[in-house]
Amino acid sequence: MLMESDSPVSKKSRLVNSVDCAMEEAPSNAVGVNQSLHWTQWQVLDSILPTGGFAHSYGLEAAMQSRMVNNQEDLRSFVIQVLENTGSLLLPFVYCASKSPDTAAWVKLDQLLEATLTNEVGRKASTSQGSALLRVAASVFIEIQALQDLRRTFLGSKNVSFHHAPIFGLICGLVGFDSETVQRAYMFVTMRDVFSAATRLNLIGPLAASVLQHQVAADAERMVQKWRDRDVSEASQTAPLLDALQGCHAYMFSRLFCS
Amino acid sequence: MAEAATGAVRVEKVRGRSALTRCFARYPLKLIAPSKVGPASCDAVWLYALTYGGGIVSGDTISCTASVGDGCTAAITTQASTKVYKAVGSKCSEQLLEARVGEDALLAVIPDPVTCFSTARYHQKQVFQVSANSNLVVVDWFTSGRYECGEKWDFSFYKSVNHIFLGDHPLFIDSVLLEQGSNWSLAEQMQEYNVIAMVVLLGPKLKSMQELMQAEVRKLMSGQLRPPTSGGSLYTMRSQPPPRPQRPPLIASCSPFGRTGTGMVARVAAVSTELVYSFLRHHLAALEPFLGASPYAAS
Repeated sequence: MLMESDSPVSKKSRLVNSVDCAMEEAPSNAVGVNQSLHWTQWQVLDSILPTGGFAHSYGLEAAMQSRMVNNQEDLRSFVIQVLENTGSLLLPFVYCASKSPDTAAWVKLDQLLEATLTNEVGRKASTSQGSALLRVAASVFIEIQALQDLRRTFLGSKNVSFHHAPIFGLICGLVGFDSETVQRAYMFVTMRDVFSAATRLNLIGPLAASVLQHQVAADAERMVQKWRDRDVSEASQTAPLLDALQGCHAYMFSRLFCS
Repeated sequence: MAEAATGAVRVEKVRGRSALTRCFARYPLKLIAPSKVGPASCDAVWLYALTYGGGIVSGDTISCTASVGDGCTAAITTQASTKVYKAVGSKCSEQLLEARVGEDALLAVIPDPVTCFSTARYHQKQVFQVSANSNLVVVDWFTSGRYECGEKWDFSFYKSVNHIFLGDHPLFIDSVLLEQGSNWSLAEQMQEYNVIAMVVLLGPKLKSMQELMQAEVRKLMSGQLRPPTSGGSLYTMRSQPPPRPQRPPLIASCSPFGRTGTGMVARVAAVSTELVYSFLRHHLAALEPFLGASPYAAS
């Protein structure tokens, strides 16, 4: 579903690219590098990459079990709140990690996020997705030496937790995304995973979810513009009600998702 | 902050008992240290932070430092909710607290909630410097406004920052930001909930309190969470719209924090202030042996 909705955009950007290249007559070597990067970049964002994102509902399951989200209209507000919160709380970590992909800075970001994610459910979701993403990326993109080094240095270390946002920013920076695209991509994968969870929780059908995803994209873009390029000292959560709710995830007697 | 401080408090051991060795306050802050909050046998200093006019006007800053010496116990509270009055232009009302908690000491910051009037802008920052065996209780909470008069989530800006540092290591970094959105109002986001609260319990003295609270909150909430019935499903044919499902009037969840799990934070959302008062009264009652009185007992 997600790959399909992705492909028109990607075809378009490829067309635009080739037109640009023809006009500017850019050196064929640079174009080749760019084009081979696309394969890596799209793979990082692809839902088929086994990073375990689909084990998480971002609090949606707890919101449904407490009757906070009952229908598609509620789902739309829920997604908007999750995205706003992602923008204000996590985009600064994505941004800072993508901008300075060095180990010492990354360790600091990881430790700061460990102290910032005070909700245990959300914190565990972040570390499990982050370490899975690093593991997959280090195994797949073997040409990126920095990933191998990072993984080897910190595997089993007690000082780092491999939180998702900084790892995502770091990897996207290393595969050549510019920092604005990295931040937009982070919002995209978050939105993708919430809609995927909503579909599997039978809150919405797959086609209706795609329609809604497309509608919410405009809001998501506004949030990217609002929250992008901020320092981690500004990171704040904006959805305290959902935070209290997401913490209840572990209290549910029957549940489908990890968070 | 030192030169601009409107208050400074120091609690130290004097002849083996916690004593207030410094208590400075200037307008708009007033500090009162009654000596008879608890029984004489109890070793704790109580401080009431008051503001002239019962609230903070736009553009005012209250900044306070507190130091609780090794082995001492102190409680900082208020007499009533802190009102944040309507904003004048884009000016904020501000409250800052910097506190150091010594070895084996206990600091309890247990105020009444902050109530922001319509259009109010409020910024609060509390930074706690703790040692490995310091004990800390922080209650930080706010309401939707004067909601009984229909003023719900009508303020412009609210930001509350709580940082706890162990040396230079960040232990707990929390920042809540609520701002009126252009196409998404706070009232829509908060639904029928009027109060948001946070309770932090940190340190070895509070270990059993943490465990009890976690167990009780789990029990309270698990009974109220259940998968939607098939009647709520998208694909069910209905002849009439289903009644609006009942949501829990109080939502609470607890999480441990810190590498070794020495801290615990509870997050609460509730439809009324009274529900949160009774929640706090119940879960903080075990502080009585340390403080000489039960928090929020009179509220």
